[in-house]
Amino acid sequence: MQLLERVGSTEFIGREFLAWLWFKSETGEGSFPLGEAGSVELWYDGRIVLQADQDDRDEKIICLGDTSRSREARFALAERKAVTEAKIRLSIGDNEWSFILDATWLNFKSFKTPRVVQDDKEDPDGLFYEKFYLIEQALSALDAVFSSFIKLRLSADWEARELPALLQWVREGK
Amino acid sequence: MGLIFGSGSFARYRVEGPLPEDYLEQFPERISRFTFRNIDEASEQERSAGWVNIMDMFDNRLSAMEYLKEPCIALSWRVDVRKVPSKALKRYCREAEEKIKESEGLEFLSKKRRLEIKESVQEKLLKRVIPSSQTYDMIWNLHAATVIFGSVSNNLCDEFAEFFMQCFGLHLKPIFPYYAAFEVVLKEGMDPALVDSLRPSLWEVE
Repeated sequence: MQLLERVGSTEFIGREFLAWLWFKSETGEGSFPLGEAGSVELWYDGRIVLQADQDDRDEKIICLGDTSRSREARFALAERKAVTEAKIRLSIGDNEWSFILDATWLNFKSFKTPRVVQDDKEDPDGLFYEKFYLIEQALSALDAVFSSFIKLRLSADWEARELPALLQWVREGK
Repeated sequence: MGLIFGSGSFARYRVEGPLPEDYLEQFPERISRFTFRNIDEASEQERSAGWVNIMDMFDNRLSAMEYLKEPCIALSWRVDVRKVPSKALKRYCREAEEKIKESEGLEFLSKKRRLEIKESVQEKLLKRVIPSSQTYDMIWNLHAATVIFGSVSNNLCDEFAEFFMQCFGLHLKPIFPYYAAFEVVLKEGMDPALVDSLRPSLWEVE
């Protein structure tokens, strides 16, 4: 199968992942263990883009502002629109990152790391390594959360518990 | 502003195939063949792309292997483009056509002749255009076999993957949800066919 064909036929995986992340963060379960690295907390923050899953694919709903109070975004989700992009905040310990995650390619837009303290003029390599470490830290954490989602999605628990709870939360958005 | 100096957008890739054992000997030569070269002002060249120092986009010498930042290779992909603005091209073409019609006493010019005039005007104007420069950071984690590339434009990402292949002889595979799920399953020792058996669940059960 060609790459673009594969991306198109499996894009529901990224869309379900974003919907699940939203559900987790809104129901107080947005904290995920990272083993020895502690835990990561994720929550939706601001911009969210929803799109029809089947027909009317050109129709997009873009909601800005406080996502937790965005009735329009929840209503669109309840109306069978899929989350295609969301601005996410991620925190590990005292550090906080923000980015827009795209459901189709898992690309990152407007990726912001915590403030770096190294000076590029005095120590260019120091700046590079600090920034690299911060980028990698967030990506590893998000990979761990994605991994949890996939393992859950492939388990019997998905159909038995997680999906009914997720659908119930989605319906409450109407 | 690239990934190192500010915020930015990026796509992630998995590098397919093993890292050559002699990469420290092999890569400097490969990278130097693909460093950025300025567009020759006298030429008709419209575009140039190649590697520059990730910390300084005007440094394309990379003589001290500044890009080797263990466990990474970190470079910026610089793309210079010079393009004659379409309205300016139209204006100068019209002026050139009028001049020829007047000097040769013609009422109309053939399509072929107008095309020749356009090409000649384009060539002349191109030499006056200052190229615009963009850089896109690339961080290759050699241990993890991952690359992050500082753009999410599909066309640019495709072009970059091709450039990377030409430079290093290694394929880049985008880490999109299906592929990421596949990697999770492999890492967990589960059956890879499980990922192919996945069907949309969120709206299908209602």
